[in-house]
Amino acid sequence: MSTLLEVSGLTKSFFGVTVLHGVDFVVRPGEALGLVGENGSGKSTSMNILGGVHRPEAGTMRLDGQAYAPQNPKDAISAGIAFIHQELNLFPNLSVEENLFVDAFPRWNGLPFIDRRAIRAQTEAVLHEVDLDIRPSTPVARLSQGERQLVEIAKALSRKARLIIFDEPTTSLTRPEVDRLFGIIAKLKARGIGIIYISHALEDVLAVCDSIAVLRDGHLAGAGPASEMPIGRMISLMVGRSIDTIYPDRQTAPGKQVVLAVEALSQPGVAEKISLEVRAGEIVGLAGLMGSGRSELARMIFGLDRFASGTIRVNGQPLDDPTPEKAIEAGIAFLTEDRRGEGLLMDFTIAENTVIASLDSVAGPLGILDNKRIASVSREMGRSMHLSTDKVEETRVKHLSGGNQQKVVIGKWLRREPTLFILDEPTRGIDVGAKQEVYRIINALTARGSGVLLISSEIEELIGLSDRILTISRGEIVAEFNNRPFDREAIMAAATGQRAWEGASA
Amino acid sequence: MKIGSRALLLILQNAPVILFLVLLVVFGLMSDRFFAFNNFRNIIIQAAPIAILAIGMTFVLLTGQIDLSVGSSMYLTACVVALYMPDMPWPASLFAVIALGALIGAVNGFAVTRLGIVSFIVTLAMLFVLRGIGMWLSNTRTLMFPDQILTLNRATVLGIPSAIFAFLVVFLCAWALLTQTPFGRQVYAVGGDPDSARKAGLPVSRIVFLCFVLAGICAGIGGFVSITQIGAVGPKYGDQVEFAAIAAAVLGGVSLFGGRGSVGGTVFGAILIKTVQNGLNIINADPYVYPLVTAAIIFLAVAIDGTRTRIIERLERRTIRPLQAV
Amino acid sequence: MTITPVAETATGATQPPSVLRRLGRLMLSEYFVLVLCVAYVLAIAPFVPEILSWEVASNILSDMMPLLVVAIGQTFVLIIAGIDLSVTAIVSMSAVVGASVMTGTGGYLGDTAFAVPGAVLAMLFTGLVIGAINGFSVIRLNMPSFIVTLATRMFFAGAAVWYVTFHSTSSSIANLPESFAEFATGHLFGIPLTVIAAGLIAVVAHVVLSRTRFGRAVYAVGANPRAARVSGIPVERTILFCFLISGVCASVAATIYVSRMQTGSPIVGENILLDVIGAVVIGGTSLFGGKGKIVWTVFGVLFLLLLDTSMKLLGASLFAIYIIKGGVILLAALVDVARNRWLVGR
Repeated sequence: MSTLLEVSGLTKSFFGVTVLHGVDFVVRPGEALGLVGENGSGKSTSMNILGGVHRPEAGTMRLDGQAYAPQNPKDAISAGIAFIHQELNLFPNLSVEENLFVDAFPRWNGLPFIDRRAIRAQTEAVLHEVDLDIRPSTPVARLSQGERQLVEIAKALSRKARLIIFDEPTTSLTRPEVDRLFGIIAKLKARGIGIIYISHALEDVLAVCDSIAVLRDGHLAGAGPASEMPIGRMISLMVGRSIDTIYPDRQTAPGKQVVLAVEALSQPGVAEKISLEVRAGEIVGLAGLMGSGRSELARMIFGLDRFASGTIRVNGQPLDDPTPEKAIEAGIAFLTEDRRGEGLLMDFTIAENTVIASLDSVAGPLGILDNKRIASVSREMGRSMHLSTDKVEETRVKHLSGGNQQKVVIGKWLRREPTLFILDEPTRGIDVGAKQEVYRIINALTARGSGVLLISSEIEELIGLSDRILTISRGEIVAEFNNRPFDREAIMAAATGQRAWEGASA
Repeated sequence: MKIGSRALLLILQNAPVILFLVLLVVFGLMSDRFFAFNNFRNIIIQAAPIAILAIGMTFVLLTGQIDLSVGSSMYLTACVVALYMPDMPWPASLFAVIALGALIGAVNGFAVTRLGIVSFIVTLAMLFVLRGIGMWLSNTRTLMFPDQILTLNRATVLGIPSAIFAFLVVFLCAWALLTQTPFGRQVYAVGGDPDSARKAGLPVSRIVFLCFVLAGICAGIGGFVSITQIGAVGPKYGDQVEFAAIAAAVLGGVSLFGGRGSVGGTVFGAILIKTVQNGLNIINADPYVYPLVTAAIIFLAVAIDGTRTRIIERLERRTIRPLQAV
Repeated sequence: MTITPVAETATGATQPPSVLRRLGRLMLSEYFVLVLCVAYVLAIAPFVPEILSWEVASNILSDMMPLLVVAIGQTFVLIIAGIDLSVTAIVSMSAVVGASVMTGTGGYLGDTAFAVPGAVLAMLFTGLVIGAINGFSVIRLNMPSFIVTLATRMFFAGAAVWYVTFHSTSSSIANLPESFAEFATGHLFGIPLTVIAAGLIAVVAHVVLSRTRFGRAVYAVGANPRAARVSGIPVERTILFCFLISGVCASVAATIYVSRMQTGSPIVGENILLDVIGAVVIGGTSLFGGKGKIVWTVFGVLFLLLLDTSMKLLGASLFAIYIIKGGVILLAALVDVARNRWLVGR
């Protein structure tokens, strides 16, 4: 059988850390390859190489038998490779047809005017192929997320794409939209177009793909036809590594006092009757896919997003109409998933960031800040967090590594001695050493009696740290796992929306 | 709840038009002279210079930039015409005004796209420099214009007064450019999302540069139309006009953050402002209240726009699960 | 790419001549604009030796004051990534309101003991009210500050002219109490009262911005409002306060103008807007928020005034001053771009 894309021995390292170790895979025309693996397993690096963003150190790629070595994203496009990212690259203020041709409008009779009739005809043709029944003149701003994605696919078709790569295409889609997308993918395959489908939603991967490749730590952990890759096998290939060593032992047991009680929290389209409790000294893990509503739940509790109904109690006290100020006052701390955009003031120094959430404690009469005290508490924070530098007053946090930045975020919140700490992806993008530090800090926090609500995409992290794990899917808590040792396959299955695993909930 | 928001949105979306209709009715009821054909023609003639200026401003605003230099640019081009071209036929003057305007726009565009200075500062500095040069050339005297230019004011083309004709030509060109050419659509793309535009391989710098040139050209033409109407310019000529042009564009729905708006809207905004002033004049309102009413209307229109944006944001909040059937 | 001395030192960082290296360090320093001021005075002194005289210096100092106070308020607004175009209208409105309170010809408190204090309070209150309108429109109505303050500027500039017609037959309100003029002419320990007042405001503003909780909040909101919000900083209240401060500062400047001119005119300070914003930006405060200092603003205003005064002493005409002012603003922006590129490159 012919091959469309053949990748062999792909190797790449960043700053001396090898992130891809000779990965091989093959895509045949008219077939879909599922690429699965945890964050940091090398999926995005291999796709960036394919798209011409990075160049590999070793390995070859062949497209339709021809050697393929893109130097930039444009090469990839002209070779017939199209990406459908989670974040779509459309201009919402332009119409559908204009988005399709924005970088190369056909001219009308050689005049400098857009040949409206031509782009309309071509747009109608490709929209028909993706079964999207909208007028080409519709502004993209009026389309739903699912429709926009179909427009992206239509754009790929209008550029004669031979290989279309989908990166987490279903996270922001409703179920009917997902079904519709899968129908289109089947049609694309029937036309002989090759597909690479990347997703954490393993059920979706099975529904779409003909063969599956599993990556782990930059290695190809396993590959084979989809029929020989049940979800359980995929999961065990993905998480195969022994994890006991990096998670420190817990010295203390959870207490009795409930520090956070959420009851029937609802917001149309985002959350449906979510109830949960966190006790003092307890770590509650929240497992769910990106876009499952896990971060949105945290943001609602912390007062960043509104909710329509439900109650939140902190230490038994109701937190009505929460705002971040009120939530912080009540004893909540929140490490957001967007460290650069929300966690830190990147242009500020370590010391300035350390006290930004607790200015009252370092301010004297008239709100005058005590700079000596700020310096000393910041240095103290730096020492207890094992920060890489003690120049807290000079160093801007943008010059710190990801791990050290995360320590500053945590240190800033620990100054408030929170009764509840919500951690959203606390170890994303930081190295193993820094991860262990973060785990140590989380344990120390619980030993002091704080409750922790831990959100993570890494199942092992949740299993390694949590006392209890809740899984959330499409805005609902779908399962609860109460007892160690946790069954990771069951948790993953519940998080990916597998109804069959509901029996596992306690 | 959702249906209610949609209905409110529809009203808010058309708020400037509703505002305009209300004003027409109010002025019409207060004076029977208001609804005369001649009066409407006068409104458009009076609105022509500022509308042409605002059309140029629209290009710059659409890319997310700003041009504060158009008023001074208008003054400088007027000085050049009055001082150096007293005996030339008017087409030569018009051509000179367009060329000089384009040059000024090119300087602005160069400083913004190549030197990387914020457009607010570049054009603020140019505001000083251009006015200074104009005052230097004219020795801060009031300049009179030759007859061949002044007679233009009474001239007609195909029965259309020259000011309205010029206005129509500029409007149609700008409209065609923005809606019918690749460049126009790319202006919207650049203003809507500069990063995506760069990723899509669009020549972002060139597009922004050209928008400044167009704004300069429009400042020249608008100034030219205006001097045919007033006949003489002093050193204060064109002062603060940049704010009036921005106000007209914003009133017509152009966003200061780029990517949203149309020349039709801008023209509507300019005419709305002049209609208010004309109506106040006709009903013999205290001239002191003109700026107050104008400012209040601009404020109202933008406040409504802000509310509209908020509602859209709420309606478009990302959903994770299907909403219950509406 | 742009060719500037800074860019050259940056690229040739291995063996730059020490003069260039020192120049580079100077350009990055906090006091760059002050150094520029001194250098400018030294360069211009051979042509206009008067500039070194005590009289000229004290003139510059007292001319600086109203502008400086307005610029200090503007600095707060620029740091939160806003802009306040209404300051000139606030000056005008405050001036006519204050004058209408204390004028001897039919003033609300004219010829009473409360005339002056009442007028000053009325002026400050006017600034506060307009500042509040600006602030609430930005935070509650979701309007860009540029348009809000453009509209309030048009409105209150017009309102000030109109207001005068109710209180005076001419275009301004005169016959103000003589004791009020002493604010502009009086001295304390040999220092002009206005300088003391403006100096006090500058010091307080400096301390507030650099040393207090509120100041920290202002920078945080300007640098990244989302991160500020997550850290529990009251973002909206901070924005409101900055517009209030700008309003009050403008009305303080109005007291200086009125006292100096002994008349409440609606065109007072009509032309200072671009000077104010120009001065703050020359000082180094960013239009994108998060960056700015009161000392920088002081230097910026000083530099602009030095330029103005020396040009006048040189006998330069108004147009020359315009051209040079524009050129200097452009140059300052260019230097800032170069500084930032170099900082990034390091």
